[in-house]
Amino acid sequence: MLSREENELLTRTGPGTPAGDYFRRYWLPALQANEVPAPDCPPVRLRMLGEDLVAFRDTEGRVGIVYEFCPHRRASLFWGRNEECGLRCVYHGWKFDVNGDCVDMPNEPPEYGFDNKVRIAAYPTQEYGGIVWTYLGPPERVPELPKLEWARVPTSHRYISKRRQETNYLQAIEGGIDSSHSNFLHASVEAFRAAPDYLEKIKNSPNLRARYHLLDRAPRFTVKKTDYGLAIAVRRNAEEDTYYWRLTQFLLPSHTMIPYQKGNSINGHCWVPRDDETCWVWTMSWNPEAPLSEDEWKAIREETFVHTGVDPVTLRPYRNKDNDYGIDRTQQRNSSMTGIHGFAAQDQAMQESMGPTVDRTRERLGTSDTAIIAMRRLLLQEIHALQERQEPFAAHHGDAYWVRSASTVLKRDVAFDEGARGLVAAEV
Amino acid sequence: MGLEGNGARPAEAVNPAHIVAVRDFSPETLAAIAAQLEASTDFEHLVYREAELDAIWSITGFAMAQAQVGQALPPANQEFAARLHAVAHRAHDLVGECRPREAAALLREFL
Repeated sequence: MLSREENELLTRTGPGTPAGDYFRRYWLPALQANEVPAPDCPPVRLRMLGEDLVAFRDTEGRVGIVYEFCPHRRASLFWGRNEECGLRCVYHGWKFDVNGDCVDMPNEPPEYGFDNKVRIAAYPTQEYGGIVWTYLGPPERVPELPKLEWARVPTSHRYISKRRQETNYLQAIEGGIDSSHSNFLHASVEAFRAAPDYLEKIKNSPNLRARYHLLDRAPRFTVKKTDYGLAIAVRRNAEEDTYYWRLTQFLLPSHTMIPYQKGNSINGHCWVPRDDETCWVWTMSWNPEAPLSEDEWKAIREETFVHTGVDPVTLRPYRNKDNDYGIDRTQQRNSSMTGIHGFAAQDQAMQESMGPTVDRTRERLGTSDTAIIAMRRLLLQEIHALQERQEPFAAHHGDAYWVRSASTVLKRDVAFDEGARGLVAAEV
Repeated sequence: MGLEGNGARPAEAVNPAHIVAVRDFSPETLAAIAAQLEASTDFEHLVYREAELDAIWSITGFAMAQAQVGQALPPANQEFAARLHAVAHRAHDLVGECRPREAAALLREFL
C-alpha cells in the first residue's frame, strides 16, 4: 500500500510536480522517427508529461518539438505549414524554428522587430534506435542517452510499436514488472488447469517458461538496487536439484524488460506519462544476433504477444474499453483465461479496469508484489533525492543501461548472480 | 495472492535477505518479522520488510472484512486483528521512512 500523499507524489508528472521534475531529468522516447519521416513533412501533435507539443522535421532534417500553441492568439501550430526551416502558424503567419525562436512575423511592421524577441518553449531532440527522444528538463542538466541494447541493433533486428493507454504510467509499469500475473492473465485454460496430460506434453518443452511456470506458482522474489534501477530475480522450483530463474530489470525512470531465453527475441517496454491519466506504452522486440525471424514477425502481425494494432492517428488500440477489448466469452470458456486476444490487450484491459489512477491506499499486497513495492520505493527515494538537489545517477550514466534480461535453469546450490553473470550483459 | 517468498525460515534464523512466510498473523509470525526488522539495513531488506507488513495488513484487513459480512471471528480475535491492522500500517510507513528499528519496537510492543 501507499499513503494517499505517496500515491499523489508518484503519479503526478505535470510541470512543477516532484515526479514531473524527476522525469524531466531523462531523455524520453517521444516519436517513432517515421512519424516525421521527411523534411518539411506534416507536423504531429504530441502530449508528454502533461504538456501539449507539436513535432516537425524541418527542411534540414532536424526534428523540433515545440509548445503547441502560437503565442500570438494561441492557435494550434498543428495546423501550421512546415516550410523553409520552420513551422508557420497559418492563422497570422508567425513562424518558429526548431529552437522555438520566432523567425518571421509578417503581420507586424518590420521596424517593431517583434520576431527577434518572441519564442516558444522548445525541447532538444536526438534520433536513436528508430525513435526521436526528447529532453524536457533544465538546459544545464542535459543527461546521457541510455545505451539500451534494442536501440543499438540493426533496424532489421528490431520492431518497435507505440500505443496509448488510458491509465497513469505507474500502474502500467507495475504490470510490466509483476511476474506472477502471467500464470493467470496470459495463460491458456489448459495451462492454468495443469492437468497431468498437459504437464506430460510440456515436460520436455524447450520453452523454459512453459515448462516450469506451472510447477511452482508461488515464486520467490529477490530485488537488488543497481546503478540503472532494479534487478528483479524470480525463482521457481524446476527439477529436483535445479531452480528456474527469471531476471528482469526496471531501468530508471520507466523502462522494463521481459525475461529473455537465449535464441528468442527480447521484449521490453518504456512507459512514458502522457498526462496523469494516460501514458504512452512503447514496446520493443529485438534479436541481438539476427534479423527477426518469420515466427517473430508472425506474432507481431497477428498481435498474439506484446504488440497490438492501433488507430494510426490516435494510437489508441483497436481493442479498447469501448469494445470490451473484443472479449470472446466462448474462447474464455474453452481456451484462453481472458478471452481477449494478445498479451498487450490483456494487460491493457486489466490495467485500465483499475481506473486512470489506482487508489493504492485500498490495495491488498502480498509478498508476490515485492518487485512492485521495490520499484515504488526506489522511485520515491529518487524523487525525494532530487527534491534535495541530488541529481539522478542513472540519467548521467548511459552505460549503466547495458544490460539484458535473462532466464535460465541453475543448480540449486549455484547463486543466481554467479550462474547468470554471462547472460545479463548486453552484447550489442 | 502469494504470501510467501524467498523461502520461509524459522523465527530463530534471522536473515534480513529472506522474506518471512506470512501465512497468518500469529505471535510467532509477528516476532519473526520484528526480528527481521531489527536486522534490516539495506534498501533490499526494507523492501522485503515492507512486503511482509503489507501482507500482515492485507490478511488482517481480510479478517476484518469477514467480520463485517457475518463470518465473525471471536470478539477477542476481531479486536486483535483490528489493532494489528493499525499497527501494521504504522510499522509499514516507518519502514518506508527507513526506520525499521522503530517499526520493530511497535510490533514488539503489540506482542
